[in-house]
Amino acid sequence: MQSVGASSIAASIASKTKKKHFVAQKVKLFRASDPLLSVLMWGVNHSINELSHVQIPIMLMPDDFKAYSKIKVDNHLFNKENMPSHFKFKEYCPLVFRNLRERFGIDDQDFQNSLTRAAPLNSDAQGRTGARFHTTYDKHYVIKTITSEDVAEMHNILKKYHQFIVECHGNTLLPQFLGMYRLTVDGDETYMIVTRNIFSHRLPVYKKYDLKGSTVAREASDKEKAKELPTYKDNDFINDGQKICIDDDNKKMFLEKLRKDVEFLAQLKLMDYSLLVGIHDVERAEQEEVESEDNEGDDEGESDGGIGTPPDSPSNTLDSTKPLSPGEFDPTIDVYAIKSNDGAPRKEVYFMAVIDILQHYVPVKCRHAGAEISTVNPEQYSKRFYDFITTILS
Amino acid sequence: MSSNCTSVAPVSASKTKTKKKHFIGQKVKLFRASEPILSVLMWGVNHTINELSNVPVPVMLMPDDFKAYSKIKVDNHLFNKENLPSRFKFKEYCPMVFRNLRERFCIDDQDYQNSLTRSAPLNSDSQGRFGNRFLSSYDHRFVIKTVSSEDIAEMHNILKKYHQFIVECHGSTLLPQFLGMYRLTVDGVETYLVVTRNVFSHRLTVHRKYDLKGSTVSREASDKEKAKELPTFKDNDFLNEGQKLQIGDDNKKYFLEKLKRDVEFLATLKIMDYSLLVGIHDVDRAEQEEMEVEAGGEEEEYENDGMGGALTGSFGTPPDSPGNPLNFGGFFSPGEFDSSVDVYAIKSNDSKRHSFLSFVNCMFLMCICLHFTLLSLPQAGAEISTVNPEQYSKRFFEFMSNILS
Repeated sequence: MQSVGASSIAASIASKTKKKHFVAQKVKLFRASDPLLSVLMWGVNHSINELSHVQIPIMLMPDDFKAYSKIKVDNHLFNKENMPSHFKFKEYCPLVFRNLRERFGIDDQDFQNSLTRAAPLNSDAQGRTGARFHTTYDKHYVIKTITSEDVAEMHNILKKYHQFIVECHGNTLLPQFLGMYRLTVDGDETYMIVTRNIFSHRLPVYKKYDLKGSTVAREASDKEKAKELPTYKDNDFINDGQKICIDDDNKKMFLEKLRKDVEFLAQLKLMDYSLLVGIHDVERAEQEEVESEDNEGDDEGESDGGIGTPPDSPSNTLDSTKPLSPGEFDPTIDVYAIKSNDGAPRKEVYFMAVIDILQHYVPVKCRHAGAEISTVNPEQYSKRFYDFITTILS
Repeated sequence: MSSNCTSVAPVSASKTKTKKKHFIGQKVKLFRASEPILSVLMWGVNHTINELSNVPVPVMLMPDDFKAYSKIKVDNHLFNKENLPSRFKFKEYCPMVFRNLRERFCIDDQDYQNSLTRSAPLNSDSQGRFGNRFLSSYDHRFVIKTVSSEDIAEMHNILKKYHQFIVECHGSTLLPQFLGMYRLTVDGVETYLVVTRNVFSHRLTVHRKYDLKGSTVSREASDKEKAKELPTFKDNDFLNEGQKLQIGDDNKKYFLEKLKRDVEFLATLKIMDYSLLVGIHDVDRAEQEEMEVEAGGEEEEYENDGMGGALTGSFGTPPDSPGNPLNFGGFFSPGEFDSSVDVYAIKSNDSKRHSFLSFVNCMFLMCICLHFTLLSLPQAGAEISTVNPEQYSKRFFEFMSNILS
């Protein structure tokens, strides 16, 4: 269904394909279902604007890794429609994250647009300990709610992380940390970190695995399996007979990156991370696209199954303007995507990257009862992890 | 003769002999200024106008808008220390009301923001009563005045009626055009500021200045005052010169209509003690000065690295800032002005000439100057006038009618 309300720019592109409905807003109202999201939108908007007045330094200084910007807003009978009257917004190490965004090929304006033009969406993905996730409306970035301990750990590793990113030229499977904030609304503090979305902003993922290479309790619970997109684990992967079929070149590049990444993590004594694997089934998506066209008029404007759909946001410079064919992707946006090889049973696209890296090694005697017991140290963990991933790729 | 424009990189490659104002449109606003408080002002206005651009313009103002404020407190640590203090606060009073007033006074918010943020405001040498501090925006379009917290309270008291008055007269008034009201806190010190449109032209120099009240007691410039570069003369000085301001019948009629409305309004608010501020720009003299400047080469001092150069005798010059949309690209010939910018300017009517001292070929810039601390309590040393607001307004109006012809 052609949504009449959609911007006319998108209208000029392709006819039948379902368009993402987006009207470029000149005025940003920061409207959201949750005041916290409004504050996030306002805050990122403000922070990027502030940064545009700060000259980009030639290189980062040690102080930049300890810096923060804080702002407290107190309005009275003003601007109450979408924003809470009282809130605080703190950004950690603004210059460092600006530099990281640059190294990851992300333009600040685009970053700002993704986070502010429309409210971030709830994601049903759950991290460890049920952390809350959102994605930006255009699905380019993921916003994770983290703890103050995570924030402290980030500060601990930030210098080395930055150095690692410099050395690998941004070419890594580690999370791309793009911004870290603390929001205070109604006296409650919420910590958030923004990373690049591992999955595609366009190609939906039908099956998802969280792999660690460990053997203990690595199976999705029944409750998990009941979800729309359950997070399966190591044992499920093996029992399902799941295969990741990628050609040798891709495999080599991938493992090379992974090796460097896990070595880095081991050095920092981090462990308990996972490889997140998402699988996009090209034929299935094509099928769903056809079905949804038949059902024109039922359109909810969802962005699922939008293969070959014109890009989300016509004015978002990241997107090319020509429609992509089924299973195709823009590797500068979907940086983690790898196509299945020609001999694969099904035509698929895989999205694989490392997640949850902020757990610092805690020696056995310090752990509390009920902690997931893994009787390895970071070094061993990294080896076991790497070996497992190598195996599943063969 | 080509003037050697050596000082600062001129943006406009064009134009030859006339002195250019050198201004480089900044894309990145660094809010650089000589004092932290000016940086905070620039940052604050930049921020509040940006905020307002995300708040839809309401159909009409509500009572709450006259009690509203926005407050922001910034606390940076090891970040952005180059031009701004690490800690400061910025409060804007009644943002929606002042936005509406700016609209009614035909001031675009973007232009307002640019004027106050592209380059640091400058200290103005004119002093108001009680030595209040004046600043002007770098492009001289707006005046920023330091006021007291009592003044802020008083402004709140009159704001609704003032706004209503502006609505009714469609922005056509000789009263000050209040455009924004702020409180800045730097190093724990609070400073209150009010922004108004500049009475005097941003381009045309004022050669002579009068502060007229229509009163008779002590209305003469002191010797100390007369020694200044641009003294503020008063009623008795004016009368002694035997002057009239010749603006012609139509202008006079139009002017007095506005004046009458204004003073009646002030009387209803029980405000008195205001003046008519008269500035006179002598076209011939300015032309003369311009030629002298050229003959003497580029001796002009440019303040602030050439940003917002000093305004002296430079009419006929291309507009200040190429990038400022308020400036239309054309030249202004001697004595010409853009009446949408210099809203107070009236050209002299030269059909009648009196003595050689009379003002011919001039621009008159006149507006009502409200002296802050609007409370009518007698201040120590204040001129004591034994009239009430009603009488004051009548006497004031009479006097002004008489000096115009």
